[in-house]
Amino acid sequence: MTKFILRRLLLAIPTLLGVSFLVFASIRLVPGGPAVALAGELATPQMIEQLNRELGLDQPLLIQYVNYLGRMLRFDLGRSIRSGLPVVEEIQTRLPRTLLLAVVSLAVSSVLGITIGVTAATRPNSLFDGGSMIFALLGVSMPIFWSGLMLMIFFAVLLPQWLTSIGFPTGPILPPTGSGTWQHLVMPVTALAANSMAIQARMTRATMLEVLRQDYIRTARAKGQKERIVIYVHALRNAMLPIVTIIGLQFGTLLGGAVLTETVFSWPGIGRLLVDTISFRDYPVIQGTVLTISIGFVLTNLAVDVLYAYLDPRIKYS
Amino acid sequence: MHKIFRFMMLSVMLAALMLGVFVSAAQEERVLVIGHAESTDSYDPARGFTQTTGFVNRVTYQTLVTFPDENASEILPLLATSWEVSDDDLSYTFTLDPNARFASGNPVTAADVVFSINRLKNVKGNPSFLADVIESVVANDDGTVTFKLTRINPAFLNLLCNYAFSITEAAVVIANGGTDAEDAATTDAAGAWLDTNSAGSGPYILESWEPTVSTVLVRNPNYWRDREVYFDRVIVVNIPTPASQKAALEAGDIDLALDLTADQIAELEGNPNVAIARFPANIVHFLLMNQDPEIGGIVSDPRVQKAIRLALDYDGFKELWGGVQPAANLAFGLLGALGEEDALDRDLDAARALLAEAGYPDGFEITLSYPDFSFQGVNMNINAQKIQSDLAEVGIRVTLNTQQLQIGLAEYRAGQQGFAYWFWGPDILDASDFFAFLPGGKVASERTNWNEGPAEIMELIAAAKVETDPEARVEMFAQLQRFNQESGPYAPFIQPAIQTAFRANLQGYIWHPQWLLDVSLLSRSE
Repeated sequence: MTKFILRRLLLAIPTLLGVSFLVFASIRLVPGGPAVALAGELATPQMIEQLNRELGLDQPLLIQYVNYLGRMLRFDLGRSIRSGLPVVEEIQTRLPRTLLLAVVSLAVSSVLGITIGVTAATRPNSLFDGGSMIFALLGVSMPIFWSGLMLMIFFAVLLPQWLTSIGFPTGPILPPTGSGTWQHLVMPVTALAANSMAIQARMTRATMLEVLRQDYIRTARAKGQKERIVIYVHALRNAMLPIVTIIGLQFGTLLGGAVLTETVFSWPGIGRLLVDTISFRDYPVIQGTVLTISIGFVLTNLAVDVLYAYLDPRIKYS
Repeated sequence: MHKIFRFMMLSVMLAALMLGVFVSAAQEERVLVIGHAESTDSYDPARGFTQTTGFVNRVTYQTLVTFPDENASEILPLLATSWEVSDDDLSYTFTLDPNARFASGNPVTAADVVFSINRLKNVKGNPSFLADVIESVVANDDGTVTFKLTRINPAFLNLLCNYAFSITEAAVVIANGGTDAEDAATTDAAGAWLDTNSAGSGPYILESWEPTVSTVLVRNPNYWRDREVYFDRVIVVNIPTPASQKAALEAGDIDLALDLTADQIAELEGNPNVAIARFPANIVHFLLMNQDPEIGGIVSDPRVQKAIRLALDYDGFKELWGGVQPAANLAFGLLGALGEEDALDRDLDAARALLAEAGYPDGFEITLSYPDFSFQGVNMNINAQKIQSDLAEVGIRVTLNTQQLQIGLAEYRAGQQGFAYWFWGPDILDASDFFAFLPGGKVASERTNWNEGPAEIMELIAAAKVETDPEARVEMFAQLQRFNQESGPYAPFIQPAIQTAFRANLQGYIWHPQWLLDVSLLSRSE
């Protein structure tokens, strides 16, 4: 297993190199650079040229990329053109907030998604099954920026107004923007988890329906096993492989989805950092942020592979 | 498997509990929370040159002279109690207020003024160009300082009201790597420190800035002026999405929302918890028509330019955004700006006649470039669509070319756009800002390739640049505006009202054309 993990980590290096090159090249293809943004409204071509020189952006692209790689090997992602702060420092400040959002969303969506999926699968074609799948369809269909705003308007504006009108004067039930308290976490997590939960519920239901038709489940029932044991020990464990894959993929999606959620709820995480710096063409921060998210993807995929072996002892890595 | 569920549930509960620890305890303080789409890249007075920098530095620093709280109608003393102008209009001597103190408690001296101005010039930051007119600044003694100008500048005192001319405590800035030496552009290292701290004499101190997250100001305990400041702490939260700002305001999560769109403001009308203030802003939205036939094509023809001016539905734009119809690109409200009575009226027949005279009786097709952007609540997409429909009435078929802001700006600044829609806000609250739109001026030459005008107009421009008599200036600028109205490659169509929404219990909100907002004037009814 250790060998497998090491090999996967080594294989991640070309992936990350590819990502770093793609990001490096693609942001430079977009017209307008950081010098234009930095120099401001009254910039002359000479000022922009001088700024480009100071930022090292006047050198050939390949040399810029090699320099960037060299610094990256020393864990130096450069300094933000906009704020002047080291990129590593900016990411260190923002990443825990995004991880908090992503981890809590994943936990909430997994607990609810799997529970709903299992319950729906054990009661096929029931009212609960139909209702939960319609609910799941809504969850998959609602874009985060829309559901986020709807949550915000409902909990922060309409619900307090309604409670006040019926004689229970109250402030906002939940703070609509910002971070710092658990209340701040509720709406972004709900918006972010809704989509992920829906996908997991649908996947769990489909897989469980498949597994519950297997012979060994019939055998377990024939042996007189309690239904709870049959479902949660015999069936769910075997249905978990595709579900874990989806959860792993979802974690990556949640990191990406944080870009929208963080913008709508003004959550100061890595997603917001990315959005803010793209419009400013802050190359070092854009590169560092995308690389960090990519590392998150790679590590999550690795964790999923390791989990496979735990869930299905037949899978051996050598 | 139920163990996994139990573990997951426990994790969720633990995360919630851990977060609960961070619940804010600062309930006793008087805290003002402002929702704002942050635009700053620096709070260093020598480097920052954005709206956010403007209203933050307005209360953390002070300038020698200032405008009244409500407008820019006159020059008032601030750090300087009085000033004298030499007979040749090239030297200004300021006497400092002996009571003026920095937040550190140290007095504001002439040496601090010299350091701050030289640093502004030599750092070569975004606002440094404002100090180009200053040849030298000398401390005569601790309490007086003399500025020598390179040329007569009738707007010099107005210029000094800009927050770029904030006076910083030299010793503090030097201790944090600052310098006013000629090579400060490469040797000054105080920028990072000044981004998260302040070294000024204003009623607030900059406590922290996390870029694109929040800026926190706290009351200056050593504030020297006899002026009450209500809030102990001011938090400017970056909320880039206007819809989120609106929800946060309605919820009472923020006290003031600075970036709501006009339709969002309209939705807030009638909400008893929210008050709305409207002020005539100083941003002029205009069409630009390149004078170079190779770039501008048909719209480089002055007859076509005038036809376009006559075809726009000015009343319609006023209905959309409020505000006034500018007569030229000199913002209404500045000294010498022509009023609405002098502005053009829509005249479709005259526009069609001019187009026919220019050889386009059936109109023509053209592409209008503009940024996908909203500023001070005005959505440029809406205006562009209205321009398209207005011009269609005289046969001009406009294709809209919406651009990402930075991409559009790069083309605009390089003078590569033939027919474009932009807006302009004055850097200096004085009629001299209008020179940018006259032949040879910044916008005229660099963005429309309009470098030369008739000889008498060029002479008038040269004379207006050095005229100090206010009445004579008004007359000169009136002539120059009429000239542009007739022959300029622009179509200024709206100077929208600025609309701001805030909690109904917030008092003292005044929009200011220079610094946007003075948070030290705000209070909350108990």
